[in-house]
Amino acid sequence: MTNIVSRLKSFGWQQFVVITLVALVAVSFDSCKSTGKLTRKEKKAQIEMYKQQMRAIINGTTKMTLEEQDRAISDAINKNFGDDELNQLILQAQQISKRAYADQVKAHEQQVAVARNKLYDLLVNKQNLSADQLEAEMNKIKAENLGDEEINELLGRLEKKISDMRSSNAVEMSLKTKLESSFQSIADAARAGNTSMANSLISSALNYFSAPDVPVLIIISREGSIVDYDKPSTINNYLNFLKDQKESRNNVDSYQMDSAGKIKELDLIKK
Amino acid sequence: MKRTMVFVGLILFSATLFSQGNDDLSPQRKQAIDSLALEKVRDLSKYISIIGNKDTQWSEAQRVIERAIELFMPGSEMGVSSLSKPEVHYYKVREYFDRLMQLNYDRVVIDWYKIQYVSDLERQPDGTYVGVITVFQRFQGYDKEKGLVYEDTTKKDITVYVKRKETQIGGRMIGFWDVLLGDIRVKETSK
Repeated sequence: MTNIVSRLKSFGWQQFVVITLVALVAVSFDSCKSTGKLTRKEKKAQIEMYKQQMRAIINGTTKMTLEEQDRAISDAINKNFGDDELNQLILQAQQISKRAYADQVKAHEQQVAVARNKLYDLLVNKQNLSADQLEAEMNKIKAENLGDEEINELLGRLEKKISDMRSSNAVEMSLKTKLESSFQSIADAARAGNTSMANSLISSALNYFSAPDVPVLIIISREGSIVDYDKPSTINNYLNFLKDQKESRNNVDSYQMDSAGKIKELDLIKK
Repeated sequence: MKRTMVFVGLILFSATLFSQGNDDLSPQRKQAIDSLALEKVRDLSKYISIIGNKDTQWSEAQRVIERAIELFMPGSEMGVSSLSKPEVHYYKVREYFDRLMQLNYDRVVIDWYKIQYVSDLERQPDGTYVGVITVFQRFQGYDKEKGLVYEDTTKKDITVYVKRKETQIGGRMIGFWDVLLGDIRVKETSK
């Protein structure tokens, strides 16, 4: 018995009390976490944070997107803080958000309407734009990413139109190349002293034209809107000129075709 | 005094504006017409060479003569010289080309070189630009048996007239520069 008393006396009671207290505090913290309950201070802070968010939505000073605003409102409702002022603010923020959604839908509809009109104009090519210019305009509309079925369908039609224009341009390019090559061949044949070959090449070159007297204009200078030409000639005279001068000094600048697909007017430009 | 100064200033200012309006060709456009006139002289040199060439068919020579005549102002003359005669004969260009075609050689070689301005194109009161281009012409006449029988080099001055005109082509109005050659004067002839 004396032993037991002495052992009890030698036990570190102070240490025991400290350890027990630490254990109790730890257990109490853990229990708080597991139930998700907030301290009064935390709750107050959260209410204040939601109030600020709602006020920012109401005043239109928020940097949140409409979706983020929606989420913040839902969060504030779900927390159910039971704060009258916050509840009032939530109601006001909900109304503002609904209005903003309606405005967004309206703005989108307007954007779609503008894009639709623009696309129809581009499809008929009112401004006579080149394939590259049409593509640049089309890309601007694509970048708006409107997600509208009709717009997507019109964009598809415009893409096809641009592609068709490019293939027809390729045909034009080849005609321009053919003409220039034909002019050079005439000059080369004459320089080689082969007059009969030059004459034969002149006859075949004339097949590109609607008549031997098709006007030929040679641009000698182009400065802004001022274009200076050499004295107008005819295709027959020009082809013979190539033979006489034994050189081809001009490139094809442009030409106009008649309904039969023959050139009815030719503009050349100094190389 | 002050009023007089302002008045004189206004007159000078108006005169400057008037002169700019009269001669508003940019250097690039002026260069383009300078080159065009030189080109016409080079074109003529090729035509002369074709007309003088005995291998050129008569019909072809006639066509080229017509094209060459189109380069000249109506009534223009061409000077012809010879080492054997001191005087210079002047012929209307059509007559000159006809004579050139019929020269009594078996082969004729005519070459124009050093084609350049001796007097730049200057704007005249009527809007025409007038200048003088000089050329050197080497003439060689060959005989079938004897070979080269005559040769000379002649320096010739050509007056050029350039005027802007307008015409309607295919419904559009275009402005073109009409270059016409005037008399071709012999300056010197040497062997």
